[in-house]
Amino acid sequence: MKKLTFLILASCFTIAAVAQNNFLLYSFKGNVSVVENNVETKAKVGKPLNSNATIKLTAGAAATLICNEAAMFTLTKPGTYALKNFGDSCKVSSNSVSSNYVKYVWAQMTKSSGAPGSNRKAYMNNVGAVTRSINNIWVDPRLDTVNFSSGDSFPLSWKSYAEAKNFEFFLYSSDNISQPIFKTTVSKLKIPIADFINKLKPGNSYFWTAAIKGEENEELKIFNYVSKEAFAQIEKEMKDQGAAFEAPAEQAYRLAFMLEDAHYLAEAYQYYTKAATLDPANALYRATLMSFKKDYEIK
Amino acid sequence: MKKAVKKFGSGAKKVSKHLTKYLYERDTIFSTLWVFIFIVALSQIPINFYFLNPLKLAMKDFDFNDLAYSKLGKGKLGSSEDSKFDKNIVIVNIADLDREGLAMLIDKTASYNPKAIGLDVWMEDAREPHKDSLMREVVRRTPNLVLASRFKPSTDPERDEGDYHSNYFKDSTAGTEGYVNFFNEDIATIRIWNPTTKVKIDSVTKIRYPSFAYSLIKLFDSTALEHLPSKKKEIINYTRRTLQYQIVEPDALFTDNVDSAAIRGKIALLGYINIDPNNIDDKKFTPMNEKFYGKAVPDMNGIVVHANIISMVLAKNYIKKLPLWVVWLVAIFIGWLHMSFFIRYYLENHIWFHLVAKIAQLASAIFFTYVGIYLFDRYRIKLDMKLSLIVIVMAVDVIYFYEAWAVWMHRKFGYQTVFKPHHHGHGDEHGGHDSGHEKHDEEVPEEGATKKEEESSH
Repeated sequence: MKKLTFLILASCFTIAAVAQNNFLLYSFKGNVSVVENNVETKAKVGKPLNSNATIKLTAGAAATLICNEAAMFTLTKPGTYALKNFGDSCKVSSNSVSSNYVKYVWAQMTKSSGAPGSNRKAYMNNVGAVTRSINNIWVDPRLDTVNFSSGDSFPLSWKSYAEAKNFEFFLYSSDNISQPIFKTTVSKLKIPIADFINKLKPGNSYFWTAAIKGEENEELKIFNYVSKEAFAQIEKEMKDQGAAFEAPAEQAYRLAFMLEDAHYLAEAYQYYTKAATLDPANALYRATLMSFKKDYEIK
Repeated sequence: MKKAVKKFGSGAKKVSKHLTKYLYERDTIFSTLWVFIFIVALSQIPINFYFLNPLKLAMKDFDFNDLAYSKLGKGKLGSSEDSKFDKNIVIVNIADLDREGLAMLIDKTASYNPKAIGLDVWMEDAREPHKDSLMREVVRRTPNLVLASRFKPSTDPERDEGDYHSNYFKDSTAGTEGYVNFFNEDIATIRIWNPTTKVKIDSVTKIRYPSFAYSLIKLFDSTALEHLPSKKKEIINYTRRTLQYQIVEPDALFTDNVDSAAIRGKIALLGYINIDPNNIDDKKFTPMNEKFYGKAVPDMNGIVVHANIISMVLAKNYIKKLPLWVVWLVAIFIGWLHMSFFIRYYLENHIWFHLVAKIAQLASAIFFTYVGIYLFDRYRIKLDMKLSLIVIVMAVDVIYFYEAWAVWMHRKFGYQTVFKPHHHGHGDEHGGHDSGHEKHDEEVPEEGATKKEEESSH
């Protein structure tokens, strides 16, 4: 019996030792190469790799791998990586739907109540999940990504932790973040979109940042210049979701809310204004417009 | 330890007694019946109150099981065996290529020897002649290419009628094409796939048109189609989001930066992909949307929906929808249990009735929603729990109606009921009826009983 137990244990250990993780090079950018059996080859999308392989990344390169068809991770720093060291990245979260359900119900039941009208920020998903390095300039996370189609007067704004008289605003194209396509100095903590919109082409994405004059800020924010046609489609989809009996002011308020949630801030501003104009007696519309203007530094 | 077990045992016995004490009473059975009579009657009212109810409009496309995708982690990479990276399918992004670019892309993809290629681009008519010539030539020399067609069914699905629109380049192929559209409203969630559609040509002839996914699977592994439960209608089992398929960008393909193993022997789907959540070009609403109610922004490119369908068929991962009679049977059973429980509190602890009923309704709603989600996640069984939840909600109100009805029946026809007008008195009449509720007198609090008596005497 003891021998049998020993044999079973030994077999288990052998299987565990022999079991290897299988990787797949899902995507990459920059100069990435793969070393297998001491032979170095150029990386290719969709290449299967075993755990004895090594990946080499040069500066600016990145590679995304999938392990055992169940876990995805990305390498971004230059260096040489032996895949056998990535066992932990192959682990899959064991949270079941059942346990997640209990957590979800509990979270919902213990969440403080409120209404989208009185506390619209609590009901939106427009804040990014990532915060980056700390510097003297702070940009509201809700401006992390701005989608824009029309409404030039809307500003991009920031806060400064240090006293400064002048700030520099930089705008980059998405394919070249070393050379700004537009640069200007402003004295306020904001810049109207109208000041740079004629430098941009609809349908393209850009990066922007602001810094105290003479300082650098590596924290880039995204500015998507959406074409009129694409926006019209989004607007139509949103309008179509309204009830048949929806009053114009109600519709404007609903669209403003949905657009703000979808990062169309300038357009949301137009609709919040419209709602407040169409139904001036409605205190909620007025209060929301004031709050929106305060949030995004619209004077 | 023994004491604790004994205490637990007696507690369980007490709860079970609360639940089953009135289970076999005719009042429980008839009041449950009344709940269903109300549900059926309300659903038969010919006037449409829909337009007055924005909540109902927003919930029209609602399915409890969508919660599993949006909040409970179902469908995330590696969350289950079904949601692993799919090795049978590769998606080639067509980006904004024109017909010339698409022709080159098909050619390049074909050079990697995939088993089947699907081009999810609807080409209705002629454009620039030289680009069309290039496309026609590529289509001609790629026998394993499936082109996109469209089918608009008639409003009455039973009539086997509709308009079929072939792809402009179809005549140069061996007839391999499939309709790419889904037969639902434009902004509705895509849940149903129609593998093939029969169309009546005349009184005798009918043609069966295949869908895009069906044609591709036929080329890839026709035996997989033998297991298809229905050729007419299938619920799509979504198991993967965009990044759970190998995505190949056109630049990578044109510059030979793609490993041959990524495409060889697989199904290569050529379609538009954009993972930016704010870009809604060619995106559809699916149950995998981050919002499970009031979906505002479409979440999945059409080609990924097709990929999910193919994954489902190849893995034989079909969703089994339980028939309507099972849904009703479950609702009747749940309604019956609840009614028994509610009647017990209504008669014996009326002072607590509303509080207990509300707590029971909430707990039941949470529990039965979970049961539905669990069956869907674990066994791919779709049991619509909406009816059961409606029954639980209505049960409380129906008790009041039933009491009045039973008392009236008692006076008029001597109908035996536990809701006799004198019942809520001091209970001395209780021993009179044969349901064995002699202990009511001990359990009914004096104040509650008096209050009910006053109510009953009205």
